[in-house]
Amino acid sequence: MTALAPTTRSPRPALATYAALDLRRQLRDRVGMFFIVALPSFMYVVFGLGSEDSVGSGNVAMYIMVSMATYAAVTATTTVAGGATTEQVMGWGRQLALTPLRPIAIVGIKAAVAMTVAAVAVALVFTIGALTGASGAASDWALSALLVWALSAMFAIYGLAICLLFRGPNTPGIASGLIVVMAFLGNLFTPMDGLMLDIGRLTPMYGFAALAHYPQTDGWLPLGGHDPLWLPVANVLAWTVIFALLALWGLRRSRARA
Amino acid sequence: MSERHPPAIRATGLRKTFRSTDGSTVVAVDGVDLCVQPGEIVAFLGPNGAGKTTTVDLLLGLTRPDSGTVEVYGGTPRQAVAAGRVSAVMQTGGLLPDFTVEETVRAIAATHGRTDRVATVIERAGLSAIAGRRVQACSGGEQQRLKFALALVPDPDLLILDEPTAGMDVATRQHFWDTMRADAAQGRTIVFATHYLAEADEFAQRTVLIARGRIVADGPTADVRASFGGRTVSFRPPPDVVRPDGLDPAWLDRVEQALVPLGVDGLEVSSASLEAAFLALTTPADELAGASR
Repeated sequence: MTALAPTTRSPRPALATYAALDLRRQLRDRVGMFFIVALPSFMYVVFGLGSEDSVGSGNVAMYIMVSMATYAAVTATTTVAGGATTEQVMGWGRQLALTPLRPIAIVGIKAAVAMTVAAVAVALVFTIGALTGASGAASDWALSALLVWALSAMFAIYGLAICLLFRGPNTPGIASGLIVVMAFLGNLFTPMDGLMLDIGRLTPMYGFAALAHYPQTDGWLPLGGHDPLWLPVANVLAWTVIFALLALWGLRRSRARA
Repeated sequence: MSERHPPAIRATGLRKTFRSTDGSTVVAVDGVDLCVQPGEIVAFLGPNGAGKTTTVDLLLGLTRPDSGTVEVYGGTPRQAVAAGRVSAVMQTGGLLPDFTVEETVRAIAATHGRTDRVATVIERAGLSAIAGRRVQACSGGEQQRLKFALALVPDPDLLILDEPTAGMDVATRQHFWDTMRADAAQGRTIVFATHYLAEADEFAQRTVLIARGRIVADGPTADVRASFGGRTVSFRPPPDVVRPDGLDPAWLDRVEQALVPLGVDGLEVSSASLEAAFLALTTPADELAGASR
């Protein structure tokens, strides 16, 4: 205690230690990890196993593996980001407000945790794929993995936005439920064509999924048709901006209420 | 006042209003002035809804006042928090249910860059036996002790406690205050909000009584009790009439008879308490009138 001496303490937050503890807590969450890791892996095994027909530079199994990795990464970032909002609402944010940690550092830690969990999910699905007959050009394989992982950041913003806008105990469930709908519309689970495909092209996960498949397919679709590169890029940019604006709006609303 | 030794807390003209759900404005804190010197132990006493928690939030910089200023050790509350000079046990501060007790402490210690303090504060808060337990499996009192451990992490000069013993049983509460007393003896400044009158009475040198967002009394605890606790004449009985089960009834009879010529009746034997002061000062006059009707 230094009640009388003028203090010049310079505590340096051990951000990595905090992030490691938070990550371990996240990975321990059995229900959460089931949906992030086990369910996509299971779906790959059901839909993708033994599909040796060739698609682009790889086979069907690889195509489905990329789809499921996309779904896994999106679930990971949505869950972690949504969970971060819930933590704040539950009062952990007040606890952190009494530490030297600055809000920007908290956001940074959560982003790091979300991206790490997403990396774990993607790595697992790709490993299972590699062991069970998914095959394709190595460079396309790597580029796909990188794209899936990096683009999943946009769904961290989505998770944040949903949980800020609709506060409540069911919100993370709603956010995950909407992901399933978006995954169907995003051409991830079953190949679409015709009107459904036209509608799907405008939905948030379509651009992401199309870009993830691009290294393998060069934009050619499973049921025929072709997406020029600008289309998924525009889709991703537009929805990232929309999610960010929604998150900002939610943040402003939550501040006003506090 | 020398700026080398600024007061632990200097609050001037604090005012904070909230918009309630029906659109009307609620004044939570209404012109609070407060100065706490290093080493003081101050009780913040008031009924629920008096503005204690809002005042604590203002002192910690968690809420911005509508008007007025707060200085903690001569700087902003945020600076004092960042330097680890002030910390708090908050009433509504949350814990993460899926961390263990030890992980919670380590996480907060990491934010302070004080991972060296983990073992110390776990021991100080009496959590060694349940260090490996998940927070969600802890009782209310255990969670309260965990929050206390978190507050000790930065080894703060000023500790602000909002209803610190909520959910603790009698023995734990006793132990908690013993710990606090030892801390205070070493020079830690302690400000605690409570509605347990006995806690203020026993522990605080100074009591600040707050009601409807205003400070209605502020002084040495004994003075607050004496000046507002009704008109009580007290004296010490001779030791030979004091028995383990109370005062000798024969002696009390003699006291009563001696007082009759002075026009005194209805002699009551009780120990003085803050309770009377508390009720007299915090109950609005119209409510008292309504109650007596």
